[in-house]
Amino acid sequence: MREITNYAIKKLEDSDIQYGDIRFSDILTQSIQVRNGSVETIKDNTSKGFGIRIIDKGWGFASSSVLTKKGIDETIKRAMKIAKASGKTSDGVDLKEVEIYQDKYVNDYKKDPFEVDLDEKIEYLVDVNECLDIDDQINVRTSNFKAWRFLKEFASTEGARIEQELVQCGGGLGVTVSDGEDVQTRSYPNSFGGDYSSRGYEFFEGMDLLGNAEKTAQEGVDLLKAEQCPEGKMDIILNTNQLALQVHESCGHPTELDRALGTEASYAGTSFMTPDKLGKLRYGSDIVHLTSDATAEGGLGTFGYDDEGVKAKKVDLVKDGMFVGYQASREDAAQVDVEVSGSMRADGWSNLPLVRMTNINLEPGDWSRKEIIEETDKGIIFDGIKSWSIDDKRLNFMFGTEAGYLVEDGEVKKLIKNPTYTGITYEFWRRCNAISGKDDWKLHGVPNCGKGEPPQVMRVGHGVAPARFEDVTVGVGKW
Amino acid sequence: MVSKDLERSAQNVLDNVKVDEVEVLIHRKDKALTRYANSKIHQNVGQKDFDVSIRAILGKKVGSVSTNSVDEKSLVEALRRAENIAKHQKEDPDFIGLPEPKEDRAGKGNYFKETAKYTPDERAEKVKEIIEYASGKGVDRMYGAFETETIEVLVANTNGIMKSSRMSKANLTATAIADWDNDQGFGWSEQCSANVKDIDHMNVAKTAVDKGLNNMDTESIEPGEYTVVLEPLAVNTMLMYLAMMGMSAKKVQEKRSFMNGKFGEQIMDERVNIFDDAMDDEMIGFPFDYEGVPKQRVDMVKSGIANEVVYDSYTAGRDEEDKESTGHALPMPNSMSPMPLNLMMDTGDASAQEMIEDTEKGILVTRFNYCRPVHPVKGILTGLTRDGTWRIEDGEVTQPLKNLRFTQNLLDAFSNVELIGDERVLFSLGYYPGYTSVPAMKIPEFNFTGTTEF
Repeated sequence: MREITNYAIKKLEDSDIQYGDIRFSDILTQSIQVRNGSVETIKDNTSKGFGIRIIDKGWGFASSSVLTKKGIDETIKRAMKIAKASGKTSDGVDLKEVEIYQDKYVNDYKKDPFEVDLDEKIEYLVDVNECLDIDDQINVRTSNFKAWRFLKEFASTEGARIEQELVQCGGGLGVTVSDGEDVQTRSYPNSFGGDYSSRGYEFFEGMDLLGNAEKTAQEGVDLLKAEQCPEGKMDIILNTNQLALQVHESCGHPTELDRALGTEASYAGTSFMTPDKLGKLRYGSDIVHLTSDATAEGGLGTFGYDDEGVKAKKVDLVKDGMFVGYQASREDAAQVDVEVSGSMRADGWSNLPLVRMTNINLEPGDWSRKEIIEETDKGIIFDGIKSWSIDDKRLNFMFGTEAGYLVEDGEVKKLIKNPTYTGITYEFWRRCNAISGKDDWKLHGVPNCGKGEPPQVMRVGHGVAPARFEDVTVGVGKW
Repeated sequence: MVSKDLERSAQNVLDNVKVDEVEVLIHRKDKALTRYANSKIHQNVGQKDFDVSIRAILGKKVGSVSTNSVDEKSLVEALRRAENIAKHQKEDPDFIGLPEPKEDRAGKGNYFKETAKYTPDERAEKVKEIIEYASGKGVDRMYGAFETETIEVLVANTNGIMKSSRMSKANLTATAIADWDNDQGFGWSEQCSANVKDIDHMNVAKTAVDKGLNNMDTESIEPGEYTVVLEPLAVNTMLMYLAMMGMSAKKVQEKRSFMNGKFGEQIMDERVNIFDDAMDDEMIGFPFDYEGVPKQRVDMVKSGIANEVVYDSYTAGRDEEDKESTGHALPMPNSMSPMPLNLMMDTGDASAQEMIEDTEKGILVTRFNYCRPVHPVKGILTGLTRDGTWRIEDGEVTQPLKNLRFTQNLLDAFSNVELIGDERVLFSLGYYPGYTSVPAMKIPEFNFTGTTEF
């Protein structure tokens, strides 16, 4: 690894370019999925390669898996040609100055998930799958595990030399149930693969899939007979798995400065949180405090340095309800003169780093979840991501969850199915009137955040505690 | 045809097999993408990668490994790992073994050296001309991407399959954001082809800019049921989600499809024909799937009747009826497989202009944004309009509208269809690679459930 980066950086330093960097990655992934008692997937993937970024009036990026001097030479040449072509429409690129590091970083983990015996992992997932088999109406039972190991080395013509090792893993379980008329799903600890963390196998063990399987499956069956979500306006309480997605879509993406500056306009969209609103927009109620924190312990968006060598840090995005900060790259921060947030990451070695969420967190409040429910006259608790959609400026959203629980007079009364709610981002967060405290706060890992062209998938984190929002439109559409 | 080195890599794996069956799937990609925003190129990339996936089978136990290290020693190591994983696997009683060789259907070639040799300079020049054209019309904020790509694929297995193919792809998108007096107008256009020489970049630019300039000074409209004229890109999104929500054997076998219990029944208007055919002259597709099985035409909805779904070898083997793979496997193992990747819909007899003229009161939609199923088995989808929405009044496109959220049962929408366009447009799905070719549609009583601020 060191040989490749040393060779490439010497070539770049000897070239007549404004800036250059190389990022080499060696990535190991393991996926196991058990479906209806059979092991549907056991797959190991290894991927090695490097990406070269160059500024020569415009940006150029080229990547390759050919790990020879010839491969490196050809890739640098390709990146230089691309940069020159970009220069046809560019006035030049400025990067905001940052501290330059030479460092090594390894994330904290106890049990290496790749060292755990394969049979042990398979047997556990099969056992979990069997525990889900409690009713003939359950058509699909899944239990899954996934782990990643990233070995990365970054070097730049500014003198940065950073080595990192990141180990991450997690998993989950789920059922799909059908009675011939309706179909419902239920998952634990979250849908779309479960929950993930920058920790070792101890995190997977700590989720206790086995202990939560039967309860989850039973609730899936119960959903078939549950009442349809009512229509109208009422208070809603978001459990942490759904609130993590709400933060992701309505705060995480719109505070990405590249989006706000329009660089994703043709694909993922832009943002209503434009630079002219910085420090002026009331985003939420006074109790809403949102941060970007790449230092959060165990977060799936936690690392030592981002993919342009910026040290991990914590940045305020919304404080006391006011929009106060962005997730910003060196280039974007130079344009708007805001703090570089250390958020540039690429999906593997073959892709260009983009502004990506680290851990976008809702800081704890001073309620407890129990108190929030007790103080709610009528409302719905939303749990388990099912459906999500938001407009291309991140204003109008609609979310649906696997399950809802009707709350009346401070008590959870009954399960309801197909719960949905909709709103406009800033109006919704201004209606936030209660946030639970540290004891209820949970850092979720989301492994599938999409952005960019060519498309990239990133692992991000969201730390949240259950929160209540008043007078929200629920029960959308014709059922 | 595909380079001999891919065959050598595959043969190297097959020569070292120590289990019952082995499958080798090789992808080699060379992709370049020039992205522009605010009328400047801001991201510009070239990517080369080579990926080898190996499935090793011991009885009914399957282990899989993939790697991008392709030297002889690394591939044999990957094979040994796959074999070792298979040994640790549980038996899957539904696994019937790897497919046997079959002859592919004949089709036109989809590889063009013009696309393969297209340079960063050529892409940048075309983007520059788009930007200059827009600027000449007073639009200084153009956004989009110009992508050229070549993909080689090879499938080999111990039953004697050894087949390869290659294709090229060019895709150009353009968003125009027209600014005027603190208002913004949005316009979109795109074109894709296997041959980059077919891409009419100035037409893409003109369409996006015209839409953007005509989309300023938008008004809000109350949510409710409206007649819509959906341009082909909007129909493309609905069709793609219909396919995902239920047109595969796996969804049907797991009782998760809107087709369950409805085969042979009228589920859409009788003029609606939805099929998958990689070998159609309009399509871009490989002649075989990722297991090496020839791709067949599958008529999922025929004259509005739920007819059939797509299969891979696994779902064919475990079906209650005597089924064969239709050639729609994704790279295995894959919980999404099988999937239709070359979706088409039959045209009708209405021109785009006739659809507008035929509408007394309605909404014209350019495309949809961020759609997601709300209830896949009921076929309910939500999403928003994007990049150009207008009111239609008395047969004319009139007032630009702020974007709207729809929450609509797609089966109802395809049942209510009033007119179907007489031309199809090809779109890239953006994954695997997959494509759709669809016409415009006019649909009454389309359910809008919300509005946004732009």
